[in-house]
Amino acid sequence: MSKKATYILVFILIAIGIAFAVWKYTFRKSVTSVISKKAEIETTAAAILLEYETDEASANFKYLDKIVEVTGTVESVKEDSLSVTVYLKESDSVAGVICSFDRASLDLSGLSSGSGVRIKGICAGYLIDVVLNKCVLLPVM
Amino acid sequence: MKIKILLFVLLAMFQFAQAQKYVSKNGHIKFFSHAPVEDIEAHNNQVVSILDPATGDLAFNLLIKAFEFKKALMQEHFNENYMESDKYPKSSFKGKITNLDKISFEQDGVYKAEVSGDLTIHNVTKPVTVKGTIEVKGGSVTASAKLIVSPKDYDIAIPSVVENNIAKEIEVSLDATYTVN
Repeated sequence: MSKKATYILVFILIAIGIAFAVWKYTFRKSVTSVISKKAEIETTAAAILLEYETDEASANFKYLDKIVEVTGTVESVKEDSLSVTVYLKESDSVAGVICSFDRASLDLSGLSSGSGVRIKGICAGYLIDVVLNKCVLLPVM
Repeated sequence: MKIKILLFVLLAMFQFAQAQKYVSKNGHIKFFSHAPVEDIEAHNNQVVSILDPATGDLAFNLLIKAFEFKKALMQEHFNENYMESDKYPKSSFKGKITNLDKISFEQDGVYKAEVSGDLTIHNVTKPVTVKGTIEVKGGSVTASAKLIVSPKDYDIAIPSVVENNIAKEIEVSLDATYTVN
């Protein structure tokens, strides 16, 4: 291989590397990264809700923008063309955890009202319910 | 403090909700910005809305951070540079249906609704009037509407570098399906 060809090859490799880094940077925290990253905090739907109901500011400090894994009971599943929303709620509570999934990334089989699930997603805060986005369904332990 | 009050009001509304109010916990709001350089779209599927069919009172509440963009970087800029969602995490609308006499929640049909009230974005509150539709079908109620929001009206500063990336007028569409609480 001539010297010139080696230079070109190295240049192309560097270019690909930069392109990949930019792509990674732009799309970081996307669904794929939630899939590959370990949850920073593990909790139950009831517990995170209780923390938000008691003290929203400190709960936000603990959970906001973090990948949180919750275990809970499915109350309802709502679908539209782009997304699926799974609502976790215990029967004795008025509020719960709303989990939003990308339409493409979710296998709906096994999701029915009353079933127990484990979900990880990025915590977006609290209105009446705790809100998790970019969710991923995990196998129940 | 304001948030506490808001929450209290919301909770109080929940108490009254026993007296036949419609509640939607996963309403959908989409906004669309069309600009020369790019089109930007974001969705929020966790909009809370309460509708009182007796008085026409209508309220919407949402978390700014619950808006999802295709690109994570856009979402980051939206939250950190434009909406300052750490400082102002919520956005709300509180208003009334002004032509309540033309809408029957008892009878199936599609009704045109006129709503006016106060819209709060980025801690700035402005009066707005919106035309939308309310569909009553077999006991379920769905509301939908479109409105135009200018970032400038809500003190959202857009640097001149990205002037051509973000529309001056942003189209916001919402739909919410209510269940009787």
